[in-house]
Amino acid sequence: MFYSPVITNAAEVASHKDLHLFKYVEDPKQHEIGTYQAHGGYKAWKKVLNGMTADQVTEEVKKSGLRGRGGAGFPTGMKWGFVPKASPKPRYLCCNADESEPGTCKDRVLMERDPHGVIEGMAIAAYAIGCHLMFIYIRGEFNHCRERMEQAMNEAYQHGHLGKNIHGSGYDLEMIVHTGGGAYICGEETALLNSVEGERGMSRMRPPFPAIEGLYACPTIVNNVESLASVPHIINRGADWYGSLGTEKSKGTKIFSLSGHVKRPGNYEVEMGFNLKKLIYDPAYGNGMLEDKKLKGVIPGGASTPFLTPDMIDVGLDYESLQTVGSMLGSGAVIVFNEDACIVWVIKKLIHFFRHESCGKCTPCREGTSWLEQMINRIESGEGQPGDIEKIEDVCGNILGRTICPLGDAAVMPIQSAIKHWRDEWQYHIDQKQCMVKTNFDFK
Amino acid sequence: MAEATKKDMPTETAENMVTLTINGRETTVPKGTTVLQAAKELGVHIPTFCWHPKLKPVGACRMCYVEVEKMPKLQVSCALEVMDGMVVHTDSDTVKQGRKAIIEFILLNHPLDCPTCDKGGECDLQNLTFAHGVDDSRFEFQKYRFVDEGMTTTFDDRRIGPEIILNRNRCILCYKCVRANKEAFGEYDLGVYERGSIAEINAAPGEQVDNPFSGNLVEICPVGALTNSDWRYKIRVWLTSTTPSICNYTSSGINTLFFKENHHNKIYRVTSRPSDDIDDGWLPDVTRYGYQIVNSPDRLTTPLVKKEGKQVEATWEEALEIIGKRFGEIKERLGGVCVGALVSPGLDNASLHAASRLMRVGFKSNNIDFRGDYRYLPESSESPFMRLCSRPFKIADIDDSDVIVTFGSDLIREHANEYLRIRKAFNFGNARIFAVNPYQTKSADVSSLELVYLPGTEESVVNGICLAAIEDNLVDAKRGEKFKLKTPTKSSAEAAKVSGVDRESLRTVAEALAEGKKITFFTGEIITRSRQRDLIASALINLHRLFGLKGRAQMSALARYANSKGAEKLGLLPNPRTVVVDKLRGLWGEYPESPARNTDAMMALIKKEEIKGFLILGSNPVMLYPDREFVKEGIEKLDFLVVADLFETETTELADVVLPLASWAEYEGYYVNLEGRTQKAARAVKPIGQAKPGYEIASLIGEALDPEMFQNEQQIHSEVRQLLELDSVIAYPDDFLEVKADTDGSQGDYNLPLYIIDDWHHSGHLTEKAPSLANFASEPYIEIPPQLASELKIAHGDSVRVESEVGKVILPARISEHTQNNVVLVPRNFSSSNVTSLLMRKKRVDRVKISKVDE
Ligand SMILES: Cc1cc2nc3c(=O)[nH]c(=O)nc-3n(C[C@H](O)[C@H](O)[C@H](O)COP(=O)(O)O)c2cc1C
Ligand code: SF4
Ligand code: SF4
Ligand code: FES
Repeated sequence: MFYSPVITNAAEVASHKDLHLFKYVEDPKQHEIGTYQAHGGYKAWKKVLNGMTADQVTEEVKKSGLRGRGGAGFPTGMKWGFVPKASPKPRYLCCNADESEPGTCKDRVLMERDPHGVIEGMAIAAYAIGCHLMFIYIRGEFNHCRERMEQAMNEAYQHGHLGKNIHGSGYDLEMIVHTGGGAYICGEETALLNSVEGERGMSRMRPPFPAIEGLYACPTIVNNVESLASVPHIINRGADWYGSLGTEKSKGTKIFSLSGHVKRPGNYEVEMGFNLKKLIYDPAYGNGMLEDKKLKGVIPGGASTPFLTPDMIDVGLDYESLQTVGSMLGSGAVIVFNEDACIVWVIKKLIHFFRHESCGKCTPCREGTSWLEQMINRIESGEGQPGDIEKIEDVCGNILGRTICPLGDAAVMPIQSAIKHWRDEWQYHIDQKQCMVKTNFDFK
Repeated sequence: MAEATKKDMPTETAENMVTLTINGRETTVPKGTTVLQAAKELGVHIPTFCWHPKLKPVGACRMCYVEVEKMPKLQVSCALEVMDGMVVHTDSDTVKQGRKAIIEFILLNHPLDCPTCDKGGECDLQNLTFAHGVDDSRFEFQKYRFVDEGMTTTFDDRRIGPEIILNRNRCILCYKCVRANKEAFGEYDLGVYERGSIAEINAAPGEQVDNPFSGNLVEICPVGALTNSDWRYKIRVWLTSTTPSICNYTSSGINTLFFKENHHNKIYRVTSRPSDDIDDGWLPDVTRYGYQIVNSPDRLTTPLVKKEGKQVEATWEEALEIIGKRFGEIKERLGGVCVGALVSPGLDNASLHAASRLMRVGFKSNNIDFRGDYRYLPESSESPFMRLCSRPFKIADIDDSDVIVTFGSDLIREHANEYLRIRKAFNFGNARIFAVNPYQTKSADVSSLELVYLPGTEESVVNGICLAAIEDNLVDAKRGEKFKLKTPTKSSAEAAKVSGVDRESLRTVAEALAEGKKITFFTGEIITRSRQRDLIASALINLHRLFGLKGRAQMSALARYANSKGAEKLGLLPNPRTVVVDKLRGLWGEYPESPARNTDAMMALIKKEEIKGFLILGSNPVMLYPDREFVKEGIEKLDFLVVADLFETETTELADVVLPLASWAEYEGYYVNLEGRTQKAARAVKPIGQAKPGYEIASLIGEALDPEMFQNEQQIHSEVRQLLELDSVIAYPDDFLEVKADTDGSQGDYNLPLYIIDDWHHSGHLTEKAPSLANFASEPYIEIPPQLASELKIAHGDSVRVESEVGKVILPARISEHTQNNVVLVPRNFSSSNVTSLLMRKKRVDRVKISKVDE
């Protein structure tokens, strides 16, 4: 087995008093239970089992201010609280490890290098919602993650952290590792539930929300890997400590996956509200633009979030600040483009992805993404027609906010912002039948 | 299309109500109602593609957008539940723009081949494009085209089942077909494949869409993506007009609509005419395609009379003259009691009643029955079984039953519609559902527990349930003591041993029956056809008493044919209920005192040459009576046989006069469904050739005997009405009944139980003549469970010799995963199978031995 060669700021985290998720990710033995436990692993789990009620756990997480790291930023403790207490049905927990958003590669690092941290977080969440069977749904292509998670799960069973009557508490908890079939949409929580049930991975209508009626029509909580991995730390060090990190409304720390035209692409755990410009230019992180070319734009939160232009990047990486500049924190994938990137070409790549990944359930997304791709391809290949830009904008408007799941929105938001910020470039492409910028290149 | 009714909505109680405003109008509806339903109630139309009243909403098409104040985005009304104070606009500019955009999206890749598309004229897409779309397309690219393997054109034309053709290019991916198939029918032969704009509907790999409800998929497809060979390329819908009718193949009284063309006097198709109380708008294929027999070129169109041993064409006058003369002679010489009649329970009330009058007034004979395919029928209308039959039953009450027991019924093959109801209860309700059968049936899919008993041990199963309840104190102890006095079976353990059903299962049913607040319990054909039906009914009546089911259960033996219930109520059996006899005597001023004979007794007397003249209206006893030799030998001895039917059959072959009978589509008739509900089937087309309805035939024969006998239609209808008004429920006796378990005795070598069933796509003896149904199955076969087949080294399609004590037939094998037990099944619908020649009427369970025929 080998590590995926991803740069992290583990060294900084190790010596930092507050950063925690990446503390041991560079330790080649951290995935083994002995090492994990030597580093204080499963302490939180035991603390919960030995002295906390489910409500106390939920309260603690609520108080910490932890918000979902899968993209939507929904308060985690509050979500757990939605599970109906009186329901006689079994409850389920699904850890969402389908990480497929272009640019996002943080959950993978956690699963590969610190899988017990994920399991411990899952177990505590399961306890909080009264669940006795939990799933982790791992992206189909993440073979290595699957192996690591299975191995860790087996160790956890062997050490009595999972199974029947865990550590004598009377609490039972089983775990299933489930792999996806290779569809981005299966990361959308309701499509994920369908997929686990053996149905086609297609989004469901909400309501009912999964917390009320999810897997097998039973109350189900779906949480992202990173959200869950944060939980043991909250239990160990307390909600007050966690709440002291970050900004007023965005608490704790967050892993950002920095990619694109920077010198040091990698995964960096920083406090919420960390400055984006610093992330790109600071030698400890991105270390500046590749070949010191000029920055053209940044996608701050994964392929589905609107672009930021260079004048907007002096901004805090937290839910609220990014919103004020018209974008979103999303999954925390920061993609950086330099001046050589033809914006039409970038969008062509993105729309290809979304068209390909549309599940096909609802009309606007199914038909709209395909139409958009054809129009964008035409412009990119120099055959654009006058009026194409307006038509694209119009079609985007007919998709935005009108689909079942957010994939439709995700597909159009970057397009809309790319046209807004670089309209002249699009027009140039149509009028001159070529790129306005000098070079073209491939994503590496 | 079916409309949602109040019944599908949550119940109305004050705290359950929500008030909202739609287009400025205030309305109050139950919580849980969708905005779409609420708008409908107000008469506000919202266009939809993917919504279906009987399926869970999926919000896929996005056509049903509405704007709701304080909600920033457009909402899909089909899935949006009402909330107090909601202010909804269904026709604002934003909504209109949203709908336009959806139509534009859908049309991007739609072929627009309306001129050659069979859906043209009744296509939701066509209609909604006219109403809400734009005139122009902004799409400038090549449309995406699915092309079937082997096709060179861009026209997609995939036969995905015996009847269904799929054109993926026309499909708008509303998913209604797949959803209905799965949710409503429990079938998985159709699915969605691929993703995004190339997502497609298709048959599951290696499978055919051939389930018994598949025709519904075509009907609910909003566009011409799914068509069937029945209708396609034959006529445009606007050239047809519709006539409401009733299914003639099932007893539910499924409501249908004929599409006919008047110039050609021809019916082109049948669709649903949704009735929530009866059918929820779903038609079994036999109901949908069975109409085709009406158009069949094989129909009898003129009377035939036997001359020098050969049947030759004749006029009605000639035929009636012969009938009058010959029946007259017999009546004169031997008395009317030497004449008998058998009528089909598929005939309408008027025909049945006219036949009754013909026999009872014309011949002064009580020899009449409507049950031509059952052995050892109850002689008395007050027999335990007939009492069970008479109990009230409501199809719609299945929906919210909390316990459902089906007993002795291969449900889909005899009561397809009730199967769908139970499936609905299974999907949406909390019912405990039990299927109790001598072999595993497909109902297991919708059962909490299936009890499989050894063939012929029905009363032991029932006793076992009762005894388990007594032993475990689930019922009143005193009643238990009384019960035990009448039941030789000592304990549930003993009953379990005899029936082969484990005690735990018996107890589980007992528990449900003890606790249930609204119980549905019915028996099917396996009980009705059992020679011991009265014994089994006695056991059930005891169970009813023991558990105190009165007031909390509907328990009945379900009628099987379109008008079995009508025949029962009108007294078309040898000993009608006293009220009926009194009424008839009042109406006619006379009622025969002669002995009353049921089908078996009549056949026996024919054999003894005591009955010499016989009239058969629409029945085919030679093919369907469970002892072919017995019937055939007898009928051959008759002096004079008149048979009226739609086609030449095994029975008409033996007749001296054959009369062409009009089908239910060709005259106005009234039918009583299994609930006792009288419904009208209007006349869709003129009778073919010289065919005549049953009541006219009976009247004409009466007149030929005695001109005084003439009755016009009004008189017949008025008498029928008075009879139907009579209370038909026969009370249960006041004490427990004696139930001594019966056994059939050993049959030596012949030890494999054989059950005669209806094929998934057929019913009775006529549907072979419907080409679409023949597309599903046109040849007889023997259904063998996989285990048994492998033991006997029989493979699918092998020729199998099926032998009983009295007969032998050779049938191709069909290995069926639906049946796992040690039984074989043979459909009775194919005349070439001769399957009734294996049966003996005195048997309780038919047994055979089978072996592979070596080539
Ligand atoms: C198209 C689409 C893809 C998604 N993919 C992922 C994913 O890969 N991983 C993930 O954690 N959440 C993903 N989400 C978000 C989930 O639906 C869900 O909000 C999240 O798992 C909730 O966990 P959290 O509250 O811990 O963030 C996706 C959402 C959409 C609409
Ligand atoms: S928005 Fe796209 S991915 Fe989401 S349900 Fe609709 S078609 Fe599927
Ligand atoms: S085939 Fe017809 S019913 Fe099925 S999804 Fe397509 S349009 Fe809808
Ligand atoms: S009818 Fe509501 S989304 Fe299709």
